[in-house]
Amino acid sequence: MNKEHYVSEAPFDPQSIERMTAGQEQYYMASRRRLIWWKLKRHKLAVWCGAILFMMYGTTLISEWIAPYYYQTRHTGHIYSPPQQLHLFHEGEFMGPFVYGNDTRLNMETLGREYVPNLEKVEKLRFFCSGDSYKFWGIVSSDFHFICPAEGSTMFLLGTDRLGRDLFSRITYGARISLLIGLGGITVSLFLGLLLGGLAGYYGGWVDSVIQRLTEIIRSFPELPLWMALSAILPVTWSPLLIFFGITVILALLDWTGLARSVRSKLLALREEDYCTAARLMGARPGRIIKRHLLPGFASHIIASATLSIPGMILGETALSFLGLGLRPPITSWGVLLNEAQNINVVALYPWLILPVVPVVIIILAFNFFGDGLRDAADPYK
Amino acid sequence: MKKFGLRLITLFSLCCASVHPATAQWFEPEYLKEQVAAGELPPVQQRIPQEPSVATLMDGQEPGKYGGTMRMLMGRSKDIRMIMVYGYARLVGYNPELELVADILKDFEVEEGRQFTLHLRKGHKWSDGEPFTSEAFRYLWEDILNNEELYPFGLPGALLVDGKPPEVEFIDKQTVRYTWEQPNPFFLPALAAPSPLFLYSPGHYLKQFHVRYSDPAVLAAKVEEAGTRNWAGLHHRRNHPYKEDNPDLPTLQPWMNTTYPPSERFVFKRNPFYHRVDQNGLQLPYADEVTMQITSSSLVAAKASAGESDLQGRYLRLDNYTFLKGGETRGNYQVRLWQSGAGSKYALYPNLNSNDPVWKALVRQRDFRRAISIGIDRQEINQVIYLGLALGTSNTVLDSCPLYRSEYQNAWSQYDPDHANQLLDQLGLDQRDSRGIRLMENGKPLEIILHTAGEGTEETDVLELIGESWRKLGIMLFTKPSQREVFRERVFSGDAMMALFNGIDNGLPTAEMSPEEFVPTNQTQLQWPKWGQYFETNHKTGEEPDIEEAQRLLELYFQWSKSNSREDRESIWHEILKIYSEEVFSIGLICGVPQPVVVNNQLRNVPEKGIYSWSPTSFFGVYRPDTFWFD
Repeated sequence: MNKEHYVSEAPFDPQSIERMTAGQEQYYMASRRRLIWWKLKRHKLAVWCGAILFMMYGTTLISEWIAPYYYQTRHTGHIYSPPQQLHLFHEGEFMGPFVYGNDTRLNMETLGREYVPNLEKVEKLRFFCSGDSYKFWGIVSSDFHFICPAEGSTMFLLGTDRLGRDLFSRITYGARISLLIGLGGITVSLFLGLLLGGLAGYYGGWVDSVIQRLTEIIRSFPELPLWMALSAILPVTWSPLLIFFGITVILALLDWTGLARSVRSKLLALREEDYCTAARLMGARPGRIIKRHLLPGFASHIIASATLSIPGMILGETALSFLGLGLRPPITSWGVLLNEAQNINVVALYPWLILPVVPVVIIILAFNFFGDGLRDAADPYK
Repeated sequence: MKKFGLRLITLFSLCCASVHPATAQWFEPEYLKEQVAAGELPPVQQRIPQEPSVATLMDGQEPGKYGGTMRMLMGRSKDIRMIMVYGYARLVGYNPELELVADILKDFEVEEGRQFTLHLRKGHKWSDGEPFTSEAFRYLWEDILNNEELYPFGLPGALLVDGKPPEVEFIDKQTVRYTWEQPNPFFLPALAAPSPLFLYSPGHYLKQFHVRYSDPAVLAAKVEEAGTRNWAGLHHRRNHPYKEDNPDLPTLQPWMNTTYPPSERFVFKRNPFYHRVDQNGLQLPYADEVTMQITSSSLVAAKASAGESDLQGRYLRLDNYTFLKGGETRGNYQVRLWQSGAGSKYALYPNLNSNDPVWKALVRQRDFRRAISIGIDRQEINQVIYLGLALGTSNTVLDSCPLYRSEYQNAWSQYDPDHANQLLDQLGLDQRDSRGIRLMENGKPLEIILHTAGEGTEETDVLELIGESWRKLGIMLFTKPSQREVFRERVFSGDAMMALFNGIDNGLPTAEMSPEEFVPTNQTQLQWPKWGQYFETNHKTGEEPDIEEAQRLLELYFQWSKSNSREDRESIWHEILKIYSEEVFSIGLICGVPQPVVVNNQLRNVPEKGIYSWSPTSFFGVYRPDTFWFD
């Protein structure tokens, strides 16, 4: 050989060709979780919606403090009272937050109750005060509220219903039930979906066939009638709390199928990967392979699709309660509140009773946008 | 006995004084002129009976003119039977003063309260133009009621006295006589009821379905075609005079159905052969048509406020009043408040025939029923739900009723939780669980599942308030709303512990009206369905009443049916009312809830004030909607 083998004198530098900037380097070295977070952060709408969700769920922890009244307190003298406006200035003078007291009279002509704000009566709100007593999360007795009406006065920020119960307080308490039913339901359905989808995907064969047929059967039922049938089974003597769990389970039992399917298809794809074969050859048990090697591969995807199915659950509860088949008074959810608002009198005379629609719309939109952002961010390597 | 009969005779001779009107001239309704011209109908002179009934108008009513369509809204297609209730053409009917007067009959005579001679109007015709004579009574009596296959269970209750049928004579074409061995005080009120006892049947139409009158082969083909089990089934299906669902069935009512069900809209056209006329020579009814639009019952108020009904009381409630009042100008109607004739708007019925032995034993203790009754804060229910316009009372007669005594209304209806608690403690219900709920004898908590045929939020609101005040007594209340049929089934079978339903229908009885609503005589009395069934089926099914007070009520009821003086009847009524209210067999809640009635501005002769009740006024019936007219 004449030609000499060329060897560069310069010291070896592996990054000589494509040197990364500090930023790039940080990106490359970042953990997966961090990447998702970065990507999500760029989706402004999703971040805002996430914040709203966080806040709303935050309020359910302290509903009792936020609501000015206990949700079952009736004010016989203030039936169908319209919302009382919050004011800051009285005759040009700063007073701090207050409401004008109402003058009430029964119009004998129309048999309607009429409420006229009396500009003489300035009722200053109290803060961090004691009001209606309640049991915090059904355990500790207390009467602490963030905000209360003036002594001997009333404050109905969103008006009252036909029994004189404060709508704002009822929406606040209703949020706890409506929102938790979504979370509770998704937990159960996530568990079922992962378990059954995992088994089907990993083992294949007859296990897969059985689970797939089961999924198809469940999916082929029309949803609403099935919900109705199942909820009709719940016995009347059950306490409202048990009914709540019953409804949660019903919603979950019908919801896991979609999740199970996507878990299965992901697993089918991933289990053929080399690292899986390697693990199997090294003697790892199926449980370990699923948990350590397969699940992380699609965890983010699962989380995103779970987030997207929470609003379905919330709407499911609302729909059932709206039809009078879900939760029953005295327990209160947004669906129950809307159920009580479905008559012509409300639409024509007491429109504020339809307000529980607003939080339902907000929460559903927030979940959808947030879930959207999360799904985009879930696969940061794309 | 004689006294009773004589008094009745004076009653009806008063009302039928002016049988022959001064005018010999009759005016043909525009609506029928074409048919008359085409020869399809005879002219009005020949259609009206030779002795028509001249309508007596009430104060403030004036004679009107022909024309117009009275539109009404109904919640179910079954409701078309309301045309039979509103139309209110009866052999004998109530007038607005609630006296019994002859209507389809020219007059009638009563001897000793046991012999009833009915005189028909000469020349009276069915709605298809066939003569209406004693033959119609004969057909019903001989070929329907006494036909083994059509009526295997025997005659209707109002035709039996001590289980014995009357002797019926068809004296001539215009005269029929019913004679019992003993007085039958149920007979005339049954003829005047909203769902009346029919004594006549259009045999000329029905004979084609009757095995005695038709060719077996032809009849068999008809049965086959209709898909009924036998000819009796077919005959029954074609003969629903009350349900008004067969447009082919001739009728005597002011309006006749022309729409075959199922339909969303039913049209009832004027009966060209109707027997009533006004003082100016116009044949009633004034309105040419009545239409019934079937809609969801929750939409009735909304549709009425849009002016889609000319006369509406059904499915409207007091809480719609404000809303309806607001729509008056836009919908071109006026909403009036009528008095409700029900003894109690709602009442609780503790099921004395419950299948649960522990509950049955408990609920049969009068002190328990009294305790739960005085444990209800009726004043609060009144304020919260009825704007304080009603009265918290027990389930008994109203204060405008001649039999009224305040002690009946106030018996065990005043809120007194301390006394209630004391009574419950004395009953041995003094053990409580951790929630403070009393324990029953078998250690189970006292949880009452209350069935309701809840059609709106009103019932559930009332129950919520009751539940709250009962909670203070240590009683838990659960509400189970279900459909009316299911609801009844549960109560009848004894599955339901307690039920919420309307109070007694007739809150304004006179001593002459039957006290049956206060006595176990009917399965639909929800506190003792099985005893009622026992009575209704002549002891064939159901259970025999086995508590003393109920037996006493029945005894009094039989005494009433045999007594023949007003004083006796009155004193029997008072004893019944006293027992019923002292024993609290049903727990009344609220009475005197006004009923909104929507009346089109153009519709005349509808009274400003009236009594709105099923019985005795047949809703609008006794005010005679055939005299309502459009200006």
